[in-house]
Amino acid sequence: MNKEVLVIGGGIAGIQACLDLADQGMTVYLVERLPSIGGKMAQLDKTFPTNDCSICIMGPKLFEVERHPNTQLLTYTEVEEVSGEAGNFTVKVRKKPRYVEEDKCTACGLCADKCPVAVPDQFNMGMSTRKAIYKYFPQGIPSVYTIDDSACRIFKGKKCNICAKICEAKAVNYEQKETVFELNVGAIIVATGFEVFDPSDIKPYGYRTIPDVITAMEFERLLNASGPTGGHLERPSSLKIKAEIRQLEKQIKKAKTRLKSLEKKSEESGDETRKALEEMNERLPVLQAKGASLEELRDIAFVQCVGSRDLRYNAHCCSYGCMHSVKEAVVATEHGSELQSTIFLTDMRAYGKGFHQYCLRGASEYGIQFVRGRVAEIGVGDDGRPAVWCEDMDTRKVEERPFDLVVLATACVPSKGIENLSSMIGFDLDENGFVKTDPNKPANTSVKGIFVCGCAEGPMDIPSSVSMASAAASMAVQTVKAL
Amino acid sequence: MSIQDLIEKTKVSFCQDCGVCTGSCPVSRVLPGFSPQQMVAKYVLSSDLGMEDEVLGEQDVWSCLTCALCLQRCPSKVEYLEFVRGVREEAFRAGNKITHAHDGILQTITQMQTSGLPQNRTAWAREAGTIKEEGEYYLFVGCVPYFDVLFKDMGVSPLGSASDMLKILNKFGIEPVVSDEERCCGHDMLWSGNVDLFKELALHNVELIKRLGCKKVIFGCPEGYLTFKEYYPLYCTDMGLDAVHFYDLVYDQIQEGTFQLSPLEQKVTYHDPCRLGRMAGMYDSPREIIASIPGIKFVEMERNREEAVCCGISCWANCSSYSKQIQMDRIKEAEATGADTLITACPKCNIHFSCALSSAEMGLEVKDLTQLMASAMGI
Repeated sequence: MNKEVLVIGGGIAGIQACLDLADQGMTVYLVERLPSIGGKMAQLDKTFPTNDCSICIMGPKLFEVERHPNTQLLTYTEVEEVSGEAGNFTVKVRKKPRYVEEDKCTACGLCADKCPVAVPDQFNMGMSTRKAIYKYFPQGIPSVYTIDDSACRIFKGKKCNICAKICEAKAVNYEQKETVFELNVGAIIVATGFEVFDPSDIKPYGYRTIPDVITAMEFERLLNASGPTGGHLERPSSLKIKAEIRQLEKQIKKAKTRLKSLEKKSEESGDETRKALEEMNERLPVLQAKGASLEELRDIAFVQCVGSRDLRYNAHCCSYGCMHSVKEAVVATEHGSELQSTIFLTDMRAYGKGFHQYCLRGASEYGIQFVRGRVAEIGVGDDGRPAVWCEDMDTRKVEERPFDLVVLATACVPSKGIENLSSMIGFDLDENGFVKTDPNKPANTSVKGIFVCGCAEGPMDIPSSVSMASAAASMAVQTVKAL
Repeated sequence: MSIQDLIEKTKVSFCQDCGVCTGSCPVSRVLPGFSPQQMVAKYVLSSDLGMEDEVLGEQDVWSCLTCALCLQRCPSKVEYLEFVRGVREEAFRAGNKITHAHDGILQTITQMQTSGLPQNRTAWAREAGTIKEEGEYYLFVGCVPYFDVLFKDMGVSPLGSASDMLKILNKFGIEPVVSDEERCCGHDMLWSGNVDLFKELALHNVELIKRLGCKKVIFGCPEGYLTFKEYYPLYCTDMGLDAVHFYDLVYDQIQEGTFQLSPLEQKVTYHDPCRLGRMAGMYDSPREIIASIPGIKFVEMERNREEAVCCGISCWANCSSYSKQIQMDRIKEAEATGADTLITACPKCNIHFSCALSSAEMGLEVKDLTQLMASAMGI
């Protein structure tokens, strides 16, 4: 019989379960497939209904997991095989190489400063770039860098060892190999979380085809101080124009230098470059004017139930969408007081403690407009802005309303790996693809000794995930001690 | 069927009262006050209160285009089309009738076809190509010979499409049966609530085609195809006949590479007819056919495939200013693609767009897909 416990997934649910177990004297392994623990909560700007800074609540917990004498943190690691039974599970895990020695790296960041390869930053929902050697997010634990071997030049057979050369701690190791090892545990807690529904499946909403139609998670990053805009609320089209302006300015500078050197040779040899330069100099103010017109954000539409409560996509309610849209509208207004937010909803599900008051406050103090009516489609209005078509169920009018930005409250869908994990361990999934639980013991899966918490069980908010994590931890302790 | 049974059968009680149907409905955008959601709510309420007879006399049930866009988008998968069809049946029984366009001539023609009047439906076919008296394939010509006479002034040639279709079939080695005894497929009667007349037509056509020894029935018209495939079996048991769309046949031949196409220098866009697209699920064959013609440039309209918008009228009824506006919006959408030709795959869409274009000055031409195909084949 084994008294150690494995927690799969390092989001808020897994972290809480891990800490509860560790505090009760259990040895806990926390496995996370990404380079850092933190999960989706780490990506959020604020939490409802208190508007607390998400990472500020989470940060101390991340540290605690790392420092606790009873925990062993296994990041960048995935579970491959599970065998055995309650009290004696054998778990094979595969730890991917970071190509950075975890015990040597001091997270000084010099390597990333000098790395020549930039790729889209997944943590910022692809709205900014990171380097091939990177930290998943600034407060990420363990606080070490990782080389993305799908982007790094070395792994493409090209010459480069800038990071290894610059690293004062000598932590970079291109030769690092993956390691496969076994854990023996008495119980397992599944805390694999959820996935954000991809709204590009819903064609009439124009996600990815209409500019400035974004998901709620993308909006969180746009609001966040460590996000792609440093917390300055901007629409993606404005960011795009700014990038174009920067590119053009670079090209102009290059052309000027080239022209100078050509003119030294002869007057005529610079003709072509001069022409190109003139054309670029004409284009620049046009772009700048367009950029300036996009600078200010006046109104935002929040579209509820995107892919949720919809038999064509997901029958279930995402449970947090109503509240996170109110929160995002409130926080957005705090960024710019002139901003008008409108929430288009099927019906407002403000069921939790303090939720209803939060909505009322949103309306009275932040001027949020609530329109009861599900958005039928999003098009491009005459002024080029995204336009929302909706029947207002109170006035019974069908209207097209343009907005500067449209935020989609996307559904909560089961994580991609859950099916694989369920067949590996043998626990059942419910009709929506989440982990099936016993109604009388809500943290118990269909397999003895395997427990579940957080959004792996079904859509739930942060407080529910945390309390369920404590429940799962408690059940795991009971199981292990009883054996 | 009572309204209450209809509500049960078509899952109307699943409605979340969210308004996506009305927000999507092309009629609601141009006819203030028309709301699919409200209509559902009204019938549910009237059924609860036992006041069905009072609402069955109202007109809004005829304003629906039955285009199926609401059905496509309803998050509760309410079978709205079947609901409307059922309500129309009851309304028709209660003496409430659809407002006919073109002074009801098209409905009269359908009605007359059940009276046993002899028709000459094959003369054009004998001129255009080779047909048989009996055989495996039956070519269901449908109403295009009548449309041809009625809408000639508009510059459309529905019978021309039928001739082209026959010529193309002959090229493929198919010599279909065409019959003078064929009757209207009954589509418009079905959607106007006149289910008795529809049944009569359906049974007659099935009996005729079987008598001629045919096994496969070829359709060029989406309405005939859909009606035969989905709605005939509701009333004709043991049909034993396969409905084949002409475009699927053509697409098969293209894949086999059996014929040569000469280049056409045109930029075209394609309008999905409701019956062919959303209701029969055929999106690819027409597009593949267009793509197979060398030199042709194909561009999609903003709202395409499942999201395409109706041509503005169904069942030759309720043609009014709102129909025109829907048509004009669609034509403008086609023009915005930069295409010079709007390809349609339905004779009715073709007629409606041509009518709308006749009063607008646009450099856009409407053309039937079969006729486009025929010109590429040198027919």
